[in-house]
Amino acid sequence: MSRGTATERVVPTPLVATSRQRRLISGDRIFHAFAYAAAALIILIALVFVVAVVIPALPAITKFGLGFFISRTWDPVRSQFGALPAIYGTLVTSAIALVIAFPIGLGAALFLAEDARLRFLRGPLSFAIELLAGIPSVVIGLWAFFILTPLMRDNVDPFLQHTLGFLPIFHGTASGYGYLTAGLVLAIMVLPIMIALSRDVIRAVPRALREGSLALGATNAETIWSVILPYARVGITGAALLSLGRALGETIAVTMVIGNTMQISSSLFASGYTLPSVIANEFTEATGTIHLASLFYLGVVLVLITIAVNVVARLLVWRFAGSEPMVA
Amino acid sequence: MRGAPIVVVACGVLLLAACGGTPTGTNPSTGGAGAPPPPQASLTGAGATFPYPFYNAAFYAYNLKFSQVSVNYQSVGSGAGIQQLTKKTVDFGASDVPMNATELAAAGGSDTVVQIAGTLGTEGLAYNLDGVATGKLKLTPDTIAGIFLGTIKNWNDPALAADNSGLTLPNQAISVVHRSDGSGTTYIFTDYLSKVNATWNSTVGKGKSVSWKTGQGAKGNEAVATTIKQTPGAIGYVELAYIIQTNMTQASLKNHDGSFVTPSPEGATAAASNFPDVTPTQFSIVDAPGKTSSPITGYSWLMLYKDQADKTKGTALVDLFDWLVTEGQSYAVNVHYSKLPSNIVRQDIASLKTVTSGGATLLNVATPS
Repeated sequence: MSRGTATERVVPTPLVATSRQRRLISGDRIFHAFAYAAAALIILIALVFVVAVVIPALPAITKFGLGFFISRTWDPVRSQFGALPAIYGTLVTSAIALVIAFPIGLGAALFLAEDARLRFLRGPLSFAIELLAGIPSVVIGLWAFFILTPLMRDNVDPFLQHTLGFLPIFHGTASGYGYLTAGLVLAIMVLPIMIALSRDVIRAVPRALREGSLALGATNAETIWSVILPYARVGITGAALLSLGRALGETIAVTMVIGNTMQISSSLFASGYTLPSVIANEFTEATGTIHLASLFYLGVVLVLITIAVNVVARLLVWRFAGSEPMVA
Repeated sequence: MRGAPIVVVACGVLLLAACGGTPTGTNPSTGGAGAPPPPQASLTGAGATFPYPFYNAAFYAYNLKFSQVSVNYQSVGSGAGIQQLTKKTVDFGASDVPMNATELAAAGGSDTVVQIAGTLGTEGLAYNLDGVATGKLKLTPDTIAGIFLGTIKNWNDPALAADNSGLTLPNQAISVVHRSDGSGTTYIFTDYLSKVNATWNSTVGKGKSVSWKTGQGAKGNEAVATTIKQTPGAIGYVELAYIIQTNMTQASLKNHDGSFVTPSPEGATAAASNFPDVTPTQFSIVDAPGKTSSPITGYSWLMLYKDQADKTKGTALVDLFDWLVTEGQSYAVNVHYSKLPSNIVRQDIASLKTVTSGGATLLNVATPS
């Protein structure tokens, strides 16, 4: 400005804030308060939830103690309860889901993020993923119940038995209901999460790394294998564990195809049970105190498994992360 | 559910055609002459899913008849129904098994709650066997127990062949299907097996959920029915209404008198009439004597407080139940439930007459003879 002089320019900004600055500061305070309140609320909700599950479970916790985790008996008539078959079923079905969804999800994510040639397919694929994510689980369950189980019984299971029948996991008669079908349904349900998260993580890999690798003469495949995946593996691990979390808690679709049998079987064709399915099945008509408390105890077990998965995830992330840059 | 809205509309139409009714008492709801109509009230109930299609149809019909009374019934399950009644968040509860001593104590003592039989249901054994039509397969109490205990594993088992001469049963594995959710249907079925088979009684017992020895579970009557239809060689116990409505093939069962019967609503009523002394503590009517009795049969119960705090509501409630156990029973047949036998209707009405508000009896009808 013309009226400004050299001396005026060195005058320090006045210590008293202008009204505009004051407004900003109070806006800051409000924002801080809001953010802290929101964070506290989340912790509070989590705590209230845990307490609300643990307190009704107390009669069963005092009666069965840690034996609940290793007992195979679930007998409402004699009030004897144990969670092992349901824990086993939950872990097995979630593991199947992850084994199927991880490679497929990662492949689809790499295609979406990396492949430049079939660009026109990206739109339809992204749309399909969003559609899949939006289908309510009860609808997927109904589809699985009416279409997938007969298909598994008449085609997939006999094929597996014929080709891989020497493995104990493919022994026994296949009814179409069981761990394998449930795991497959879960895989379909967690695929959208797996794909979307992995895609974002892969896209976040710095362009310089990619181009550097290509400039050094690496092929596309080599670049993906030795540069992009190692860089993104923390994020991909995170995606896989979030998918696992979803699979552990899924209820209704699994209940429709798992066969709901309290047993532990090495065959993936056999009927089983999962923790959420037992709760969903028996909660409404459970009248005895211990029966109801045991169902809440199953809820506690599920919460513990979820926490364990999260802890493992943290450890993996720390281990992988090390000095490497972290994505996600 | 099972197309309840259609059933409801159908019943509504039927009601309009047939609501003349013959006067039998002084309760206006049941057509009594000169008595005042039921007071305006909005009633809420919660409980069992098993009788829901019948209650839904009947309450709808009642509302068409007396528009001032609306009934909202939530089929949240017997356990939840009992809890809500105990907490007094509903006006009445419904349960497939009457409230036991512990539950009654929680609700204020055994003398504070009136429990009446609301409807009667029966079950059959539906199966999926090529070329074996309804009623052709004959099952006895011991073969049913053997199949569900897992000791009879194949359709060509000699034990099955012994009862089915003239029928060639295939060399095919038996797939047992049972309910995975806690249910009154399971209670009645396991109550039956516990009564007719000592091994079942000592190893499994009776309950709304039990520890099954074999087979796979499906959630709800619909899923059990569909699983049986989809699985060759499958067998399972299904509420009769579902068997009839979905055209399933069902077995002929050997009853207490040794005759083979195909379960039917009439067979259920016949079975129930052979137990004149049913009470909320002695309520089992499985394996009933009588030539035509359907063996796997049971009541579903309604619960209300004996002392009604709100006189208007209480009056509307007992009027409704009085109608439900008499005239309302005609709606049971439409949805393939069975009519209550007359001795139970008498007993229900006698129980309803003990309901009071401020010391005054709310239902003033003559007990039918």
